[in-house]
Amino acid sequence: MFDVLRRKVSAFKSETKTLILERELDEKSLEKPLQTFELSLIESDVAVPVAESIISSVKAELLGTKMGRRANIDEVLESALRKAMIKALSVDEFDFDEYIKKAKKPVNIIFVGVNGTGKTTTIAKVAQRLKKQGYSVVIASADTYRAGATEQIDVHAERLNLKVIKHQPGADPAAVVYDGVQYAGARHKDVVLADTAGRMHTNVNLMEELKKISRVTNPDLVIFVDEAIAGNDAVERAKKFNETMSISGSILTKVDVDAKGGATISIAHTTGKPILFLGTGQEYDDLTKFQPDWLVDRLLGDEHARP
Amino acid sequence: MPDLSTSLRAVVKKVARAGRIDARTVGEIVKDVQRALLQADVNVELVMRLSSKIRERALKEKPPAGASPREHVIKIIYETLVEIIGKGANVPLKEQKILMVGLHGCGKTTTVAKLARFFQRKGMKPAVICADTYRPGAYDQLKQLCEQIGVPCYGEEKAPLKIVKNGLKTLKGDVIIVDTAGRHALEKDLIKEMKSIDTLLKPDQKILVLDAAIGQVAGIQARAFNDAIGVTGVILTKMDGTAKGGGALSAVAETGAPIAFMGTGETLEDLERFDPDGFISRLLGMGDIKSLIERAEEGLVEGELDVEAVLKGRFTLEDMYKQLEAIGKLGPLKQVMQMVPLGMEVPEDAYEVTKDKLKKYKVIMDSMTDEELKTPRIIGSSRIKRIALGSGVSTEDVRELLKYHKMMQTAMKGFRGGKFPMRKLMKMFKI
Repeated sequence: MFDVLRRKVSAFKSETKTLILERELDEKSLEKPLQTFELSLIESDVAVPVAESIISSVKAELLGTKMGRRANIDEVLESALRKAMIKALSVDEFDFDEYIKKAKKPVNIIFVGVNGTGKTTTIAKVAQRLKKQGYSVVIASADTYRAGATEQIDVHAERLNLKVIKHQPGADPAAVVYDGVQYAGARHKDVVLADTAGRMHTNVNLMEELKKISRVTNPDLVIFVDEAIAGNDAVERAKKFNETMSISGSILTKVDVDAKGGATISIAHTTGKPILFLGTGQEYDDLTKFQPDWLVDRLLGDEHARP
Repeated sequence: MPDLSTSLRAVVKKVARAGRIDARTVGEIVKDVQRALLQADVNVELVMRLSSKIRERALKEKPPAGASPREHVIKIIYETLVEIIGKGANVPLKEQKILMVGLHGCGKTTTVAKLARFFQRKGMKPAVICADTYRPGAYDQLKQLCEQIGVPCYGEEKAPLKIVKNGLKTLKGDVIIVDTAGRHALEKDLIKEMKSIDTLLKPDQKILVLDAAIGQVAGIQARAFNDAIGVTGVILTKMDGTAKGGGALSAVAETGAPIAFMGTGETLEDLERFDPDGFISRLLGMGDIKSLIERAEEGLVEGELDVEAVLKGRFTLEDMYKQLEAIGKLGPLKQVMQMVPLGMEVPEDAYEVTKDKLKKYKVIMDSMTDEELKTPRIIGSSRIKRIALGSGVSTEDVRELLKYHKMMQTAMKGFRGGKFPMRKLMKMFKI
């Protein structure tokens, strides 16, 4: 998945290595290797401003480093890169499973994102995961706009044996989520997963609609769903959705599409909110807990890192 | 964070300001162009190739008579970018079969319906086959969309190949559009299935649908689809967002298949023919006057948006009315503004005006006299009252409209004057 970057990172390491043997690390000696590294990040779909910010922190870390003869150069470099990337992933500790365990039931979780990122499929996957952990799950089909949305949810719900709360097409999505929470409360269900219509972050009216859902149903978690194949725009939309809904965390889908996955760093860096899961395939079990170390390991050249 | 237009506009300004063209200036400009393109998700290698080309030409070529060196550099950047995206495909209005393919969630199904609507509006008889048996609800979605526009739609539960075969037998129509399931290059079985559909259907057009927001993976994926079935055209979706579509540009460079249409909104009418010149000039912040005029003409029954006058800084309520009228065709306000030449900074507030509000504004202006439209400053409180009564809104609404106009007017004034030889440049690009 990160082949190109991995190659480049190793190139960067060896390039810097020779420099370090010769002299203290200064602006000039770092310029070229850092440029190469920055391009590699961009090639992995890390958004340009985010890549720049990572680079500047690596630079700050390495500038003026004097290397003793016996110091392990690889370690010094790797730790600077790792530190910068972990910082960019800026994870505040949030454990989804732990949260669900402790939260007052029913837990109301709303999924938001632009069109076609895989919200509905992700909800089915999250439902499967929660069910396996022994929770009872209700789905609120609040995408009352897109043709076929409710039918799509219905099929998933039937396969997973879940109750779906739905209204007529064109109904008020806030009302659907509200009903879902009411139903879950009355039937002592544990979790409500609310599917909302995909919307462009530039559509003021539709973003206002999300605010209304939030006001009316007061969700416990808002999860932003975006795709790992996205490029620079990931930053823009993550920012807008976070501003509108104050998201709790993100799920990145389509990680199986051979994507480099830099969007993960862009989104975490932009929102300051954790990445919760990765969607890795078409099956219900293809949902993997995100580990920042995993991404960084892959970027730094661990061939065997798996999500 | 500045978007591509903003950053490229900064580049163009920088070129305009540069005293002379030497290696250093060119180097700086090229670096800025690189950053702008990378931020638009254009493939990294492609960016490097393009920028060295720009550098080389900028340093070597002599500007033609009448053009200053800096204008020449802008022209080179423009031409180089136009070169990547090609001429744009012209989808012929004839009897044909169209196969639609793409990654998951790129907007294939919606685009199938939009395309059917396009042919329908041109007086053809489209019919649609749903060969996506994987995603739950896919057939329901397409069926519902087709019902909205009264286009026949064929589908079954299982076996995409059989569906295509039966669909071809059952459906009557002169343009048959086949929707397929989302798939990616690593899904060998699905790629094989797509090949079989291609062999069976023998489509005249094989259209790859691409999300404007797709990143660096666009080129590799496009190549895989192209290798499998030979893509003949690209449709770029979700252009109403903030994504710049650089990934799609890279896909075009990879496959050589031109971009035919762009999806620009949620309704089935929101499909526009791709205009490469316009697209590039919007990216460059050059002001896509050509397409602004063309499309404004299309959208207006009588009278044209007087671009010349607007350029001079005159912006009456009448101009604004025409602009609002054309907005349906021109897309989101932000995009319209990007089509207007550089140097104009529109306050973010101005973009936040919703479609409903624009509709209301038009109604209010319908209650104004010609004189009021031409000379808005004569509108005092008694006129406001009359206009409010006439259009059935409150006086606050009328005042709000006037305030909005003032804001736009100030913004328009922003690009009057300035040292930049806008008119000359436009002439150069034949806009």
